[in-house]
Amino acid sequence: MNFRTVKTVIAREYLTKVKKKSFLLTTFLVPVLIAAAIVVMSLIMTQTGERKQNVAVIDQSGFVLPYLTDNKANTYLDFSTEDPESFKQRLDEFKMDVLVVVSPLDTVAKTVSVQAYSKKPLGVDFSSEVSAKVDDAVEAYRIDSYGIENLSQIMKDVKSNVRVTEYTLDDSGNETVSESGIYMAVSMVLGIFIFMFITMFGGMVMSSVIEEKSSRVVEVLISSAKATELMFGKIIGVALVALTQFLLWIVLTLVIVGVVGGIIGLDSLKNMDPQQMAQVSQMSGMDPSQLESLGVAVDTAAVAAPAGEMDVVVTTLANIPWVTLIVSFFIFFILGYLLYASLFAAIGSAVENEADTQQLQLPLTIPLMVAYMIVFVAFRNPDGGLAFWGSMIPFTSPIVMLARIPYGVPMWQLVLSIVLLFLTFVACAWVSAKIYKVGILMFGKKSTFKDLWKWLKQN
Amino acid sequence: MGIIECKEICKNFGEKVALDHVSVEVPKGQIFGLLGPNGAGKTTLIRIINRITIPNGGEVLFDGRPITQRDVEKIGYLPEERGLYRKMEVGDQAMYLAQLKGMSAAEARAALKEWFVRFGIQDWWKKKVEELSKGMAQKVQFITTVVHKPSLMILDEPFSGFDPVNAELIRKEILRLKDEGATIILSTHNMESVEELCDSIALINKSRLVITGGVDEIRRQHGNNNIELVYTGDRAVESQADCFTVLSDVDNAGRHTAVLGLASGVTANAALSALLGEGLAINSFKELLPRMNDIFIKLVTEEA
Repeated sequence: MNFRTVKTVIAREYLTKVKKKSFLLTTFLVPVLIAAAIVVMSLIMTQTGERKQNVAVIDQSGFVLPYLTDNKANTYLDFSTEDPESFKQRLDEFKMDVLVVVSPLDTVAKTVSVQAYSKKPLGVDFSSEVSAKVDDAVEAYRIDSYGIENLSQIMKDVKSNVRVTEYTLDDSGNETVSESGIYMAVSMVLGIFIFMFITMFGGMVMSSVIEEKSSRVVEVLISSAKATELMFGKIIGVALVALTQFLLWIVLTLVIVGVVGGIIGLDSLKNMDPQQMAQVSQMSGMDPSQLESLGVAVDTAAVAAPAGEMDVVVTTLANIPWVTLIVSFFIFFILGYLLYASLFAAIGSAVENEADTQQLQLPLTIPLMVAYMIVFVAFRNPDGGLAFWGSMIPFTSPIVMLARIPYGVPMWQLVLSIVLLFLTFVACAWVSAKIYKVGILMFGKKSTFKDLWKWLKQN
Repeated sequence: MGIIECKEICKNFGEKVALDHVSVEVPKGQIFGLLGPNGAGKTTLIRIINRITIPNGGEVLFDGRPITQRDVEKIGYLPEERGLYRKMEVGDQAMYLAQLKGMSAAEARAALKEWFVRFGIQDWWKKKVEELSKGMAQKVQFITTVVHKPSLMILDEPFSGFDPVNAELIRKEILRLKDEGATIILSTHNMESVEELCDSIALINKSRLVITGGVDEIRRQHGNNNIELVYTGDRAVESQADCFTVLSDVDNAGRHTAVLGLASGVTANAALSALLGEGLAINSFKELLPRMNDIFIKLVTEEA
């Protein structure tokens, strides 16, 4: 390979991509969107209950009403004398948003039933609030019904809420407090990011190859530079585009969040109480039931833990091996990208337009999707068989290993995984270059895997 | 010694034989026509000379030595399947292709500016290729082929896509480059331009070399020893046994154009003296060479 030629190819690839409108757009829009999401979320958090709901209560049990106390979001008003059926129709007349009907006491089951009626669908928060309050009332009634003196005090004393505080031991026996929810969030974000970037920039290499082929410029190029020079120049050029974009994203996001935060006083974000933190995690798209099933009850943990919860979060964040993480992120991103990009280039060389790639792309998208799914399993058991093998097999390792790293991975596994990934890249690049050489000069006919195999054997 | 010597080149793609022991020598400083019907193997031979394709057998010599990747920088190649990056500016694109051929950025810029001025297309530098018409893009493509002053140019159908005015411009440029000492391999189906431009040719058909040599020599070889005679007279010339037969005679108000087939062993001079004895007013007497087009069709169909 002639490095002067490769450098020329890299420069063209980089400059044309960076000057593209779509590059500028994603580079500037993504940080704006991230910043907007952060700002909007913090605004919602700090300004909940912007409008109060008026809740009419028809209490037929006679003992629940006192427990329905007003709060930020809801004002409870007594309409117990009204008839539920007719009152339902007259909510607007009384300027009521919700009607809550508490049934008479069922003396056998020692419980009541509750119905809520409203014009607009109610939020989850409302029903859980009412449910909790009615539970309190019913529990108090039941305690009373035993007729034991001081029973409610006894019950309070008996009630227990033990929380597991997790510590991570290092080799010298030092222990640090940790929070598995944080690990999970960090490892998920990393896994998803690396998956997205490999797909995105691998795809960019492929379309760039297709562009040269469909515009027929390739035959001119191939008479001036060798196929391998063209292929690797392209792959390296796009890698530089990716790194530029990362850098700009990080810088721009920090700048925008800083500036906007300074203007509207985003400090409130830091003062969020744990319950709000739990809500943030829900709003950011994590399904609470999914979290629970993974054994990481983030919101209950947050609610149950009093002050000091934020300290655990901070300590946990501080304990994540950031240096290893960042270095690994770049190593695995670069190697994973190189591996997939070289294969994407080979596939691009076999087709003349983007629409024909779908079938040929399948062997690349399937391992990527599998890796993505293993990430979600890796939380439950970061050192389990699936996570371990997923982080060793080169086609899934860039994504899975990244998700495992926050939990700590033995050095030998890291090194082995990197070596395997690198060797696979070398082998795949060699295969891809062979396919690419023949593929880029094949016109007019839709290529299949059989053709790719034939080209591979041809030279 | 030729600038390019192909010796016993063989190439097959799987079962299919593309070139079968083809030997061609391209003399330096000439325009060399590479002819053949579609699918004969011309493009494969061109790609082998450019080192895009590696032959299964035989070797290519450049200036008498086995060709290397560095020699390819001295070749300018205009492929038949050509194109440019549609979204890229003309100037950037031309700079890129020139630099791939080993020119420095400064050299490339200076040389390109000169060519753009010569073709009167200075305003196109900042235009995107997709804004150009097909003919305009072809001009840019021609410039990118020759900008690095290659000592050998391989032009595959260089006139396709040009209007007659621009085709003439390109034709003149080709001749000018030849005068400056470049060698040009011209692959085309246009036999008129072969007669007009080429010094020598090679004809490939069905993976094999059919004929190679100077254009005039080949035309003479394939001539039937016919003479075109234009004369004025009130009667038609008649065949003379042992000397010539009149193959055709067109009388245009007393001015005749006749084709005479000379008998074997009879020279043009002998025929001319015989004609002088006829007492005709001879306007012209010339050897009638077959058109390249006819030779091409004859050789290709004979093979079939």
